[in-house]
Amino acid sequence: MIEVHELTKRYASTLAVDRMSFRVRPGHVTGFLGPNGAGKSTTLRMILGLDAPTSGEVLVNDGRYVSLVRPLRQVGALLDANAVHGGRSAADHLLCIAQSNGIGRGRVREVLQIAGIDQVARKRVGGFSLGMKQRLGIAAALLGDPAVLIFDEPVNGLDPDGIQWIRGLLSALAGEGRTVFVASHLMSEMAITADRVIVIGRGKLIADASVAEFVRSGSPGDVLVRSPRAADLARLLTDQHAVVITEPAGGLAVSGLDAPAISKTAAAHDIPVYELTTRRPTLEAAYMELVDGTAQYRADAAGRAGRGGRP
Amino acid sequence: MTGPTVSAATRARDLLVSEWTKLRSVRSTYLALLGAAAFAVGVGLFSAATVRTSHLDWTTFDPVNTSLSGLLFVQLVFGVFGALAITSEYATGMIRTTFAAVPRRRAVLAAKATVTGAAGLVAGEVISFAAFFGGQLVLSGKHSSGRQLSVTLADPGVLRAVAGAGFYLFIVTLVGLGLGAIIRHTAGAIAAVGLIFIQALIVNAVFPEPDSRAGHYVLLWAGQSISSIRTHVTNYPSVPSAFAVCVAYAAVLLATAGFLVTRRDA
Repeated sequence: MIEVHELTKRYASTLAVDRMSFRVRPGHVTGFLGPNGAGKSTTLRMILGLDAPTSGEVLVNDGRYVSLVRPLRQVGALLDANAVHGGRSAADHLLCIAQSNGIGRGRVREVLQIAGIDQVARKRVGGFSLGMKQRLGIAAALLGDPAVLIFDEPVNGLDPDGIQWIRGLLSALAGEGRTVFVASHLMSEMAITADRVIVIGRGKLIADASVAEFVRSGSPGDVLVRSPRAADLARLLTDQHAVVITEPAGGLAVSGLDAPAISKTAAAHDIPVYELTTRRPTLEAAYMELVDGTAQYRADAAGRAGRGGRP
Repeated sequence: MTGPTVSAATRARDLLVSEWTKLRSVRSTYLALLGAAAFAVGVGLFSAATVRTSHLDWTTFDPVNTSLSGLLFVQLVFGVFGALAITSEYATGMIRTTFAAVPRRRAVLAAKATVTGAAGLVAGEVISFAAFFGGQLVLSGKHSSGRQLSVTLADPGVLRAVAGAGFYLFIVTLVGLGLGAIIRHTAGAIAAVGLIFIQALIVNAVFPEPDSRAGHYVLLWAGQSISSIRTHVTNYPSVPSAFAVCVAYAAVLLATAGFLVTRRDA
C-alpha cells in the first residue's frame, strides 16, 4: 500500500507536484498516467525518499520510506533502466544492491533467472540493449521479494517477447496480493495490464479510478457505418435522435444508437450497409479527453477541479 | 512498520560489503591503482638514477623524497580514484538505486569512505614502499664524499616518511571522495582535485616570504613534509602539524559532504 497525502514539490519557480493525494492498493496493477512534465517521476522519487517533499507526506506500508531498515525487502523500484554502471557485470550490479540489504547471492541467481538474463549474468552491462537493461532493472526491483513494486516505463525497449513477459509478471505480482504501481505513457499497454489508473496533469491528480470506470467516463464510443446511400441513412438516424458525423475518410460516425438499431433502420428502408463497426471507448480516448480537460481547467480556473478525483 | 530489527553492526557490515563489491567489480579500480604503481616506481627509479653525485649537498639531499618523487603526480590518480567512487554513481544515476536501497545516506557515505579509503591506504602504502625500495636500490650504487647515497628504513625518520607518503595518498583519496560527493560531477570533481596543486601555486605567489606561515596550511606541502626526511623549506608545516593538516582537509570535506547529502535531492 502506498498512501500519498497532500504531497507538494516546488522547485524554484515551478510547482511540480501540487497537493496530490491518492492511495495505491495491494492486489492490483495501478497505472500512473500523465503527459510529460506532469510530475510522475517527481512523485515516484518522493515515494522512494529520493526527493524531499516541500510539504505533505508519503506512507509506504504505513511507514515513511526513509525509516525503513531494509527497504528493498518492502519496496522494489525500477526508475531508470539506464542508471547502471556500464563497466559492471549484471550479476555484480545485482549483488552490490542485494548486499546493502542483507540479501544473499542465491536470490541474485533467482532474479537473474526470473528476468531471463541468467545467460548474460557475467557480461558487462554497458553492452546490454535497452530491453536487457529493463530486465536487469526489474530483476533488481524483485531482489527483496517486496510487497510493493514501482516501475517507471517498464515496457520501454522490450521486444514483443519481453512485453508478453512483463504483462504476465505484473499481473502475477498483483495476483499474489502485491501493490504494483506502473508509470507509463503507453495507453494501449496500460489498457491491457492495469486494473486501476491514477491520472495526473500539471502536478495535480485528475483521476483515480478502475480502468473500466475511467474508460466509461470518457466518450461513450460510436458506430462506424458505410453505405452507398449514406446521406439517406444519416437523415433517418438523425430523426431517431442519433448524432451523425461524416468522417473525413467517408462513412458515418453514429453515436446515440447501437449497431442493431442502425441495422434495423437500414433494413426497414432497404438501404444497403457495407460496414457496421462498433467502436468501443478506449483508455487512450478517455485519457486524451481528460488531458484536454486539464487544459480547459487551466483556462477557466475553478470549474472542474474535482472531476473523477478522490474527495 | 519498519521491518525486522537488524543490529547496527549488521547494517554497517552489509553496507561495507556492498561498497566493496562496487569497488572490486569495475576495471577502473585496477587500472588506476596499477597505473599509479607503475608510474610512481618508474619516476622514483628515474629520479634516483639521475641524481648527480658531484658536488652533492648533503644538507638538502633527501634520498627518501627522491625515491618518492613520482608520488607528487600519482596523488592526482588517487584523488580522481576517490572522486570517481561517488561521481560515477551520480553520472550513471546509480546513486538513486543506492539511496533507495539505503535511505541512511550518511551511512552510505561513511561506508564508501571506509572502503575507498582502505583501498587507497593499502595501495598508497604498497606503492610508497615499492618506490622507496626501488629508488634505494639505485641510490645504493652511488657514492658522494665516500658515503653511499641510499638509506634504510632503520635510519631516522625514514619509516615515517615512507609510511607517511602512503598515508598522504590515503588522505588525497578521501579528499577526492569528499570533493566528488560535494560536487557530484566527474569533470568538476577532477578539476577540484587539481586545485591541490593550484592551491600551492597561489599561496606561493601571494605569500612569497620565506617565513610566511600560510604555507603551513597547504595540503601539497603537508604531503611533502610528511614524505621527506630533510625539512629544508621553512614554509612547509612541521611533520606533526602536517599530519594534522592532512586529517583536517579530509575531515572537513567529508563532513561537508555528509552535511549536504541529506539536504539535497538525489
